[in-house]
Amino acid sequence: MKIVVIGGTGLIGTKVVANLRQWGHQAIAASPITGVNTITGEGLAEAMKDTDVVVDLANAPSWEDKAVLDFFTTAGHNLLAAEVNAGVKHHLCLSIVGVDLMKNVGYMRGKMAQEGEIKKSTVPYTIIRSTQFLEFLPGIANQATKDNEVHLSSLQFQPIAADDVALLVAKAAVAEPLNGTMEIAGPERMHMYEIVERYLKATNDPRKVVPNNDNHYYGGEIGESDLVPAGKASLGETSFEKWMASQAANA
Amino acid sequence: MKMENGQVTELPVPSKAALEQERKILLDLGNDIARVREKNDLITLFSKRIKSFFYFTHTIVTLIESKDETYTPFLLDHEHSPIRDHNRYGEMVAAHFSLNDPFIQAVLAADGPISFLLEDIMDKPQSPSFLKVNYERGVREILMTTLRNEEKPVGFIHIYTDRTEGFSLEFRDTIKGITPQLASAVANIIKNEEILNKEREKSFLLEFSSEIAAVRTKEDLALAVHTGLSKLNALRGYVIRKINEDGETLSTYIYDPGIANFDDPEWVAVTTARFPLYDGLQNRVLESYIPLLFSVEREVQRGITSSYLHYWKKVGYRTMVGIRLHYGITNLGILWLGIEEINIQLLQGICFQISVAMANIVANEQVEKTQQEQAFLLDFSNDIAQVKTKPDLEAAIFKVLDNALHSKLSMIRLIADDGVSMPAYMFDNTLFVNAGVTHEQMAASVITIEEPYTAKVLASKDGVVFDIAEELKGGSAYAKLWAATGLKYVYALPLRAGNKLLGTIWLHSDWLSQLVLRGICAQISVAIDNIQANEKLLAYKKQLEVENDYLKEQIKTIYNFSEIVGSGEAMQEVYRLMSIVASTNTTVLVLGETGTGKELIARALHNSSSRKDKLMVKVNCAALPTNLIESELFGHERGAFTGALDRRIGKFELANHSTLFLDEIGELPLEAQSKLLRVIQEREVERLGGKQTIKVDVRLIAATNRNLEEEVKAGRFRADLYFRLNVFPINLPPLRDRAEDIEPLIHFFVAKFAKNTGRKIRKVSPKVIQQLRSYTWPGNVRELEHLIERSVLLATDEVLQDVYIPKQSTSDKQDLSFILNRTLEEVERGYIVEVLKRCAGKISGPGGAAEILDVPGNTLHSKMKKLGITKADYFS
Repeated sequence: MKIVVIGGTGLIGTKVVANLRQWGHQAIAASPITGVNTITGEGLAEAMKDTDVVVDLANAPSWEDKAVLDFFTTAGHNLLAAEVNAGVKHHLCLSIVGVDLMKNVGYMRGKMAQEGEIKKSTVPYTIIRSTQFLEFLPGIANQATKDNEVHLSSLQFQPIAADDVALLVAKAAVAEPLNGTMEIAGPERMHMYEIVERYLKATNDPRKVVPNNDNHYYGGEIGESDLVPAGKASLGETSFEKWMASQAANA
Repeated sequence: MKMENGQVTELPVPSKAALEQERKILLDLGNDIARVREKNDLITLFSKRIKSFFYFTHTIVTLIESKDETYTPFLLDHEHSPIRDHNRYGEMVAAHFSLNDPFIQAVLAADGPISFLLEDIMDKPQSPSFLKVNYERGVREILMTTLRNEEKPVGFIHIYTDRTEGFSLEFRDTIKGITPQLASAVANIIKNEEILNKEREKSFLLEFSSEIAAVRTKEDLALAVHTGLSKLNALRGYVIRKINEDGETLSTYIYDPGIANFDDPEWVAVTTARFPLYDGLQNRVLESYIPLLFSVEREVQRGITSSYLHYWKKVGYRTMVGIRLHYGITNLGILWLGIEEINIQLLQGICFQISVAMANIVANEQVEKTQQEQAFLLDFSNDIAQVKTKPDLEAAIFKVLDNALHSKLSMIRLIADDGVSMPAYMFDNTLFVNAGVTHEQMAASVITIEEPYTAKVLASKDGVVFDIAEELKGGSAYAKLWAATGLKYVYALPLRAGNKLLGTIWLHSDWLSQLVLRGICAQISVAIDNIQANEKLLAYKKQLEVENDYLKEQIKTIYNFSEIVGSGEAMQEVYRLMSIVASTNTTVLVLGETGTGKELIARALHNSSSRKDKLMVKVNCAALPTNLIESELFGHERGAFTGALDRRIGKFELANHSTLFLDEIGELPLEAQSKLLRVIQEREVERLGGKQTIKVDVRLIAATNRNLEEEVKAGRFRADLYFRLNVFPINLPPLRDRAEDIEPLIHFFVAKFAKNTGRKIRKVSPKVIQQLRSYTWPGNVRELEHLIERSVLLATDEVLQDVYIPKQSTSDKQDLSFILNRTLEEVERGYIVEVLKRCAGKISGPGGAAEILDVPGNTLHSKMKKLGITKADYFS
């Protein structure tokens, strides 16, 4: 199959492309770097030619509310229009667990708009909602750091390893479209502060984690369990410990 | 992969000559790169340089495509390639070869050039096909070198040889040495190509932009678009479709003259049709921010039925690019290109320019149209300004509607004076002929302001537009009539002059501009208002003229009695009757001998009635020729009969809200009597030759000196009319029966005429008074008046001494029959008593009976004695 991976040069994208190629598919890593731009439409029609599946992993270049909304709406609109024209048979998009619940967060509204475009379009689709990636942990820690203390809430958290995400996405891409949503998550659920504490400890980071009840996530207040799957979810195999081990090996 | 000589063999120290060669090649290559204009020149020059030192068949450069991890030919040596005539050459040139195979992975893994015997590797399952193709053309060995940019592999140099001895160590060294140079040369070529492309795009857009900037009209734009788009590679055709005014369809705006085919009915149909915006294709383009590439076949399979798509398929277009033309957020149309690929930057640039030009043209056209409309309104205004009459207005309206607006006037209705009914004022006779509605039916149709459609129109500010098709669905009877015109809409507007609602105007048309519509309606309103005012003015003027003429006539003829003179018993009875009847509207019949003052009585009745503010109108029935009586009484329309050059208002109309005095009613011809009767009964008149009846409120006073009863008996007067008139008869006594009033009348007339003639007559001699009293006055008061007038004129001093009573030589013949039946004595006795009565018993002296009888006083005395006439006989 010819599979175009939008955002195919990013963290998950490269891994998905690698998986697909390994399974013998013709995977195109599409991104502005490789000449495919979903905002301007550049290279889009050419990339879509004879394409069976499109995997959309693109992320907004800015985190500002309106920019995010514009990006996901426009990119989704353009991409799906090109897919319809090219006769693409499956559109897969990576979204976020709880995206429909966290209406206070601008980024989530952008992702909801993207999902909306997909459902509105005539292209068969699969939406995969994922929890946060384990790879985000250092970023989360840094963002919450104040005077060598890491202030984090007790939100429910169930991060998944990027490799697992890539594998599950690649599998779904070559499977039949669900015309619906599936959720993926890591194998362990704990409080946000808890896992960051474990991460800092494992990396011998001297910062101290201070738990709080501030349920703010990227600028908006969210529910205690909004970040974890409510129902049945496909779980990644990589536990925190295993992930830490592989990180250490890579380093 | 056993031939990895480069890596296994110990590298020998390069000879001085070899270094010199390499230096020279590098130098030359540096010069070559600077001279390269076309990318394949590089490979040609590179081959030439190296070939002067080493043998090989040909060389190519391939580039890595990172997005799908493939590599693809970039620089080709068309001159020396032995596979050029291979049937798979085209395929090879376009192919993307996977990086994911052992052969190329080995190349990537090698640190420098690496050679392979084709025999060894070409048949391995994952090996790229070009190895085999080359082998089939005699190539035996390949030397592969990875080109790197900042350590990252970006491409490969392929060097092929057909000799079995392969590539020498020196060759490998040289290649390794110049690889970085070559890599940067390739990078430069890529960059240059990019820059060149951008440059070309920019200059294209610049040129296009300057062409577009000069565009003023649609024709200019068509030319500019044609000039610009013809420069695009591989463009098979184009069309610009514009969104129509309805906002729901698109029609061809500009087409490619290169593919125009007026002989092909299908092309003509596609070029002239209006395609629905939401046809599953056009809406997708208009909703897309980016140009969209369509596969014609796929869209056909999707079930899109639009005829243009099927036409494209028929003429062999495989893919089409559709780009939204928009200005701001307003979509203008679509540019369709018959092209296989999309150059986003270029197309966006082109479409932006076209959009701006289109928006400008549309705006220009709008301005021009508005100007035309205004000029048109000005013309109409000039036409209207010259309008004085309804026919003028009709001509002006029909001219403007038919010629300029392709519309039809169905009706103008004006609100009548009653404020409710709306009779037809002006309409197009021909409009509803198809629907079987005749001129007469239209003219006669009267509706009221409460009629639902009319009420809606009158209540609106700028009128109402009725979509006939919509109204038909509602089952309206009017709509059925309207549909017969074949036009789509009815535009109905209220006609207003200032704050006054005049009526409604109904126009049929397929389309009318609001500006024009409002403009002409305003003009028509003013014109109608003016015409109506003009008509009223003319009517008033006419009436005043008639009244004026009439008054002049009256001044000449009527008795200028300011009051009735006389207080005798007979007159007292008259006064009593008058006072009873004056204030009512009752018809009065004034009877009396000629000259008894019948008109004076009529006038007095009028003046003491509530109608006194208006002029009493008098008709002398005896004074009119029979054939003119009717016209005089009832008026006539223009052309009612020969000589009726103008419309004339009848006396009945003139006397509306006043009194009509019909003098000498007994003289009215029978024919006129019946008409008069009808008017009296119906209280409405109809002008001769006229169609409408006019309600009148007239009080009638008739007068005659004839005995109407006798006339009725003789069949000269209609009995029914007589009874109608004889409601309240007033009999005026003859002057001879009211001798006591003679003296006051004498004084009254003497004073009047003395004043008129400027004479000073202070006194009337008793002799004169006696003379006048004893006269029989067959002409009654009128005779007395004339007699006094003559006497005053003839008087020589301040005392009226003489009057000129006509001699009675011509005795009343009417009495003859009466006399004939009597004896002489009876006649003589009666006659003397009669004379004595008239002379108030005076026998002799001036004014005495003897004088009248022309006998001496003594003779009269003895005659009286003989006939036994006593005082009692003549003082009764």
